Amino acid sequence: MSRGVRTLIFLAGAAGLGMLLVLAFLRCPPFGGDWHPYRDMAVPAALAHVTPNVVSSVNFDQRGLDTLGEETILLGSVLGATVLLRPGRHETRREPQDVGRVLQVTRLGGYVMLPLALTLGLDVVIHGHLTPGGGFQGGVVLATGLHLTYVAGSYPALRRLRPVSWYEYAEALGAGTFSVLGVVGLVTSAALLANFLPLGQFQQLFSSGTVLALSVATGCEVAAGVVVLLAAFLEQTIMIDSSRERAG
Amino acid sequence: MATGFAAFGTALPALGIAVPLVGACLLLALDQVLPRVAVDALAAVVVLGVAVLMGALVAITASGRVVSWAGGWRPAGGVSVGIVLVADPFGAGLAFLVALLTLAALLYGWQYFSHAEAHLPVLLLLFVAGMTGFALTGDLFDMFVFFELMGAVAYALTGYKIEEPESVQGAFNFGVINSLGAYLCLAGIGLLYARTGQLGLAQLGAALSGHPADLLVLVAFTLVATGWLVKAAAVPFHFWLADAHAVAPTPVCVLFSGVMAPLGVYGVARVYWATLSGTVSAAGVQRALLVLGVLTATVGALMCATQRHLKRLLAYSTIAHIGLFLLGVAALEPAGLAGSALYLAGHAGIKGALFLLVGVLLSRYGCVDEITLYGRGRGSRALGWLYVVAALALAGLPPFGVALGKAISEESLAATWLAVVFTAVSAVTGAATLRAGLRVFFAVGPPPPEHHDEDVTTGEREEREVEPAPARTPPTMLVAILLLLALGLVTGLPAVGSAAGRAAERFTDRAGYLDQVLHGAAAPAVPTPHGAAWTALGAGLGVLSAALAVGLALLVLYAPRLPRTLRVAGARTAPATHALHRLHSGHIGDYAAWLLVGAVALGVLLALPGSAAGATGVTP
Repeated sequence: MSRGVRTLIFLAGAAGLGMLLVLAFLRCPPFGGDWHPYRDMAVPAALAHVTPNVVSSVNFDQRGLDTLGEETILLGSVLGATVLLRPGRHETRREPQDVGRVLQVTRLGGYVMLPLALTLGLDVVIHGHLTPGGGFQGGVVLATGLHLTYVAGSYPALRRLRPVSWYEYAEALGAGTFSVLGVVGLVTSAALLANFLPLGQFQQLFSSGTVLALSVATGCEVAAGVVVLLAAFLEQTIMIDSSRERAG
Repeated sequence: MATGFAAFGTALPALGIAVPLVGACLLLALDQVLPRVAVDALAAVVVLGVAVLMGALVAITASGRVVSWAGGWRPAGGVSVGIVLVADPFGAGLAFLVALLTLAALLYGWQYFSHAEAHLPVLLLLFVAGMTGFALTGDLFDMFVFFELMGAVAYALTGYKIEEPESVQGAFNFGVINSLGAYLCLAGIGLLYARTGQLGLAQLGAALSGHPADLLVLVAFTLVATGWLVKAAAVPFHFWLADAHAVAPTPVCVLFSGVMAPLGVYGVARVYWATLSGTVSAAGVQRALLVLGVLTATVGALMCATQRHLKRLLAYSTIAHIGLFLLGVAALEPAGLAGSALYLAGHAGIKGALFLLVGVLLSRYGCVDEITLYGRGRGSRALGWLYVVAALALAGLPPFGVALGKAISEESLAATWLAVVFTAVSAVTGAATLRAGLRVFFAVGPPPPEHHDEDVTTGEREEREVEPAPARTPPTMLVAILLLLALGLVTGLPAVGSAAGRAAERFTDRAGYLDQVLHGAAAPAVPTPHGAAWTALGAGLGVLSAALAVGLALLVLYAPRLPRTLRVAGARTAPATHALHRLHSGHIGDYAAWLLVGAVALGVLLALPGSAAGATGVTP
C-alpha cells in the first residue's frame, strides 16, 4: 500500500476504535465512588494473612498465579533477548577499550551511591510484605544500582562485578524457587501457591507466610534477570565486532 | 484411596503449569554444565511427564470439570479474591495436545540445533507452560497473563535464526501485531473489571447476567475477542502468521500452527460460553464469527494456492483452516463446537507432519522453494508417500480426524452454501499442498517455468537448520513425523468423536460451569450427543473434497498442456491474485492499520441489531 492509503486506513480504524472506547468509557462507573467490590474482599483477605501491604498480598498470595505467570514472562523475555542478541556467525568478541573519561564528581557520586542503592534495593525486596515495594520493585533497584559501576567506573569494572553466568543461575534459582514454593503449597495444602508458612505477627519481618518468601524469590529473579538483559545489550554494543558491517 | 485419587485429580491442572516451569528453571541452570544429550533428554522427560499428567486430566474430566482454586481462596457467596483453574475436556485436551506436539518437536530436533547455548529447550518448556496455563485457567486476567507468556517466548522462538534478516523481521512483525492485540485485549478486560469488580470468567458471567449487554460490555467483548483473534490469525489480523511461520525453526512451526494459533479460537469460545453467552446477543456473535470465518477461510485458501515457499504455503493453509474452525464455532451449538475441536486436533497432527516433512527438505537442500526443488525429492519415495497421505488427510480424506471434524462441522451448519465453502476451502488448500509435494517428490507434470514475481516470496536461499546436512534422515525425525500422522488418524476414531460431542455439551453448559465453579455444585452428567459421529454423507463429502484436491492439483500441474482458451481464462485471474499478494506486504504499518479496522468491524458486527439470518442468509 502507498503511504497515503495506509494512513487513510489507519486513521479510519483509529477514529472508529477511539469512538468505541469513548462510548464504553462513558458507561464506566463514575470516578471516586465508594463501590469497590474487589477492594472490599482483598483488604480483609490480606489482613487475615497478616500482610499489611495489601498490594503484595494480592500479588503474591491472593492472585499469586498471575505473578507466577508474570515473573515467567520476564524470565522468557530475558532469555529471548539473550537468544536474539547472541553473537552471530560473522560477529566476534573483542576486548573492550577503556575509552572516554568519567568526571571525578560522577565517579565519586557513583561509588557513594552504589552501596546505598544496593542497600535500598535489598530493603525494598525484604520489606515488600510490610511497606510499599516487593520483589519486582526492589529487584529493579538492585540491578540498576549495580550498573552504577558502569556509569561511574568502566565497562571492565562492571564485568568484574558481573559474571553473567552467575546471574543466569540466580535468575533460574529465583524463578525456580517461586514455582517450587507453589508446588509445595499444592502438596501441603492441596492448592497451588497456597500460603503454607506460619503467618506470624503483624509488623514482624518474618510474617505473612509465603508472601515474604515469594517476594524474595521474585526479587532474586528480577535483579538477576535485569542484569542479564542489560548485559546482553551492553555486550552487543560494546563487545561485539560485526565484521559484516565492516565489510559492508 | 478415593480421596487421594480426587486430590491427585485436583492437582493436575496446577501441575500442568508448574511442572514445565520447574523443568525450564532446572534446564536453564544446568544447560551450561550438562552435555547436549542430557539437556535434550531432560527436556523430553519433563514434556513426557506433562503429557502423562494431561492425558490423565483428559480421562478424569470425561466425568466432569476439575475445579481448583490457586492459593486455596475458595469462593464464599459466589465471589473470591483468588484465581480458579477449571479443566474441562476441551481445556485438558488442548493441554494434552500441547504436550504431544512439543514432544514431537523435541524428538524431531533431537541433538539437532547446533547452538546449545541458545536455550531452545528452555524456551520450549516456558512455551508449554504458557499454553497449558491459557487452556486451563478460568480467570480472564490470568488468560491474558498466559497469553503474554506465550507471546514473549514465541517472539524469541520466531527470531531464533538470527543470521537471516527475514527471521528478525518476522519476529518483529509477530511481536508488534500481537502486542497491539494484547493492549486492546487488556483494555477490554479493564472495562469488564470496571463494570463488575471481578476477573474470573464465572464471576464475571454471574455479575453480568440478567442484563442485556450495553455498549460497554459489547466494546469490552470486542476488544478481548480482538486480542484472541490476533493470536488465532483471523483475517484481517492474520498478517503476522505467515511471516512468522516462514522463518521460525520447523519444529516450532508445529506448535505455532498446531496449537498456539488455534488457542485463539478456543479463547473466543471460552469467553463467550463461560462469561457472555447469556449477555451479548447470540445473533451478533454468530454474524461476527461467520463473516470472519468465511473471510479467513477464503483469503487463507487463495493465498495458500498461490505460494511457492513451502512453509508460507502451509502457513496460509493454517489460516484457511482456522477460518473453518471459526465457522464450526459460529453454529453456537455443541455439534459445531465438537466438529471444530476434532478438526483442530486432527489438523494439529497432519499440519505438524507436513511442516516436519518440509523441514526434512530444508535440512537436505537448504531450500523450501517448490519450483527449485522440482524432482529433487525423487530419491526419498517413503517421505513422498507420507507427504501425499498427509496432504490428502488435510483435504479431508476419511478416516483422519480432519475429515471427521469437517463432516461434523459441515452438518452443523444451517446453510448449504457454508458447507460448500467448507468443502471448497479444504479442497483448495489440500490441492496446493498436494501440488507442491507431487512436484518435489514425484516430478509430476512438466518442469515449472522459473519466473520471478516480486510479490511472491521464493524459498530458495534458506539457512539450513542442521549443519552439516545429514546424509539420510535421522530415525528420530521419522518417528516424530509418524507420531504426528498417528495423532491425525486417532482423532478420527468414532470414540474420539463421541467424546468430543460430550465435551462440547459440557463446554456450552454455562449454568453448570457457573454453579460448579462458584458454588461447588457437582457436574451433572451430560447428554449423549447426537451428530458427533461419522455419517455416510460426511464421509462422502470428505472423499469428495479429497478427490477435488487431487483433480485441482493435477489440473495445475498439467496446466501448460491445457487448451489455450482455458489458460487464457486462468490468466485473467492474475490481477486479482496480484492485488491480494500486494495486501500481504510485510509492512508493519499496513498490518497495524488493518488490525484497527478489523477491531472496529468486529465491534460493528457484534453490535448491529437484527438476527444473523438477515446478514448471512442462515436460518437460526
